[in-house]
Amino acid sequence: MVNALRWWWGILLAFSLLAASRLVLPLPFINEVIIFSIYTMGCNFLLGRVGFISFGQPAYLAAGAYGTAFYLFYFGTDPYVGILVGVVSGLALSAIVGPMFVRLRSDYFALVNLALAVIIYYLMQKVLADITKGDNGLWFLTRIASNPVLDLGKPGQFFIFAMLVAVAVWALYKYLDDSIYGACCLATKVNEDKLEFIGYSNFSVRLLAFVIANTTTALAGAMYAVYLGFVSPEITSPHRAPDPVVVTILGGTGTLYGPIVGAVAYTGMKDAISKVIGNWELFIGFLLVFIMLAGEKGIWGTLAPRLEKLFSSRKARTAAGDGAGARR
Amino acid sequence: MLPDPSAAANGEILAVKDLNVSYGASKVLFDIGLSVGPREIVACVGRNGAGKSTLLKTIAGFLKPDSGSVRSGAISLAGLKSYEIARMGIKYVPQDKKVFSDLTVRENLELGSYASKDYDWDRVTGYFPKLKQLMDRKGGYLSGGERQMLMIGRALLGRPKALLVDEPAEGLAPSIVSHLREVLRELSANTALVLVEQNLPLVCAIASRVYALKEGRVVAELADRESIRPDVCERYL
Repeated sequence: MVNALRWWWGILLAFSLLAASRLVLPLPFINEVIIFSIYTMGCNFLLGRVGFISFGQPAYLAAGAYGTAFYLFYFGTDPYVGILVGVVSGLALSAIVGPMFVRLRSDYFALVNLALAVIIYYLMQKVLADITKGDNGLWFLTRIASNPVLDLGKPGQFFIFAMLVAVAVWALYKYLDDSIYGACCLATKVNEDKLEFIGYSNFSVRLLAFVIANTTTALAGAMYAVYLGFVSPEITSPHRAPDPVVVTILGGTGTLYGPIVGAVAYTGMKDAISKVIGNWELFIGFLLVFIMLAGEKGIWGTLAPRLEKLFSSRKARTAAGDGAGARR
Repeated sequence: MLPDPSAAANGEILAVKDLNVSYGASKVLFDIGLSVGPREIVACVGRNGAGKSTLLKTIAGFLKPDSGSVRSGAISLAGLKSYEIARMGIKYVPQDKKVFSDLTVRENLELGSYASKDYDWDRVTGYFPKLKQLMDRKGGYLSGGERQMLMIGRALLGRPKALLVDEPAEGLAPSIVSHLREVLRELSANTALVLVEQNLPLVCAIASRVYALKEGRVVAELADRESIRPDVCERYL
């Protein structure tokens, strides 16, 4: 219970800081950070817990985004239903390809996912251009119906919705991390044979992780679609494929706060640097190489033990002071 | 899975018949036969490369045999996945003593408990009291002996009908080996044990039947107490 309270305080503090930053930072930036952190949470779970590195996350992002876009462009106007359709699309895609992909390991898994992203990119850009409108994309911002509780067409209210979703997704991953299933995921990452000797099916453990992570990614895609009111094949562009992996490593692989910290840092860097330098991607590339070489644990992975040390020594000093006071 | 009435009638926990196993083109086990009854400690001895660990891995479902049969009572284990065999109560404790290093002792045990739906940790800590003090230590920080305790302890959850233990004494201090010997002896009251071991004094102290393997073949089966002696076993290696 104490631990539960402690981690709840931690996440509430993290998201409160993000919410407070709204006062000083532009809303589009914060909304992008929140969606990006949800996008990264799935990748972080796959990489940090199960040991799967995937360069095909844009495929699942696109499944969510296009699922939502198709609904809002062709069928309905309710953004909540649109997001639900997007999530179900991502769930379906990962449930279809998952049984084939999770049998592969490391580099093959990374590449087969990248191949899927390329396939979906060309499907959306060329093969299904009649439906997807090709590079022009689907525009549906004006079709999004307003809602009396939270109107997702308004950036300010979308921000509240995105925060609530992000906290819920974070809590889900925290729960998974602390559960037996989370331990199974870590165990399959370390030694898959041994997990089977205990009585678990590696295939089932990995498949479930794959579906959960990529459904989360699809949720981020669906939220992008509603937030921007527009989806084009650019969302699944293969050159954006390493983004979630980079953000995961930048934030701190396998850490719970890593995706939030990584998303803030990456989006912040991109935003700040692109304002002053034309070829910002080149500069960010060099900066990331430096960050990876400087500390492979990522920002949160490096900061967390130091903060813990700082707080524990402060607590010890306070306790010693209380003890001295009591003696006096 | 076709029931085999004869095996069930014999009350065998494990029955291996004419087992042939290969690694690719190279054949490792030749027509192996082995039988394990309830509450029996069966040991397989042999030099390095004799095929002892391969035999255990095949019984545990990690390797697929070329031919032959592996049965538990009336059920054929051939073709079953290793996790299915583990769920049937035939647990394999591998040789390398690698536990899940990122998980604590408690989490390692929880994994075993959840899979087998057995949360009776008192029984495990009854055999290995030291585990009680190590609950919050990560597997990666345990000594070789502590890891072995954890691996056997975790395998005990679910009250398995057979434990396949690969080189349990390898690299352990004599005091720990002697504790292990007593634990294995106690365990055999409820669980059949198949040991692969090169420590002949340990084997001869507890085994009720010994199979000597040489170059992938069973060259001797010692089943009476008089013949289960280190000097006799040595003759066949």
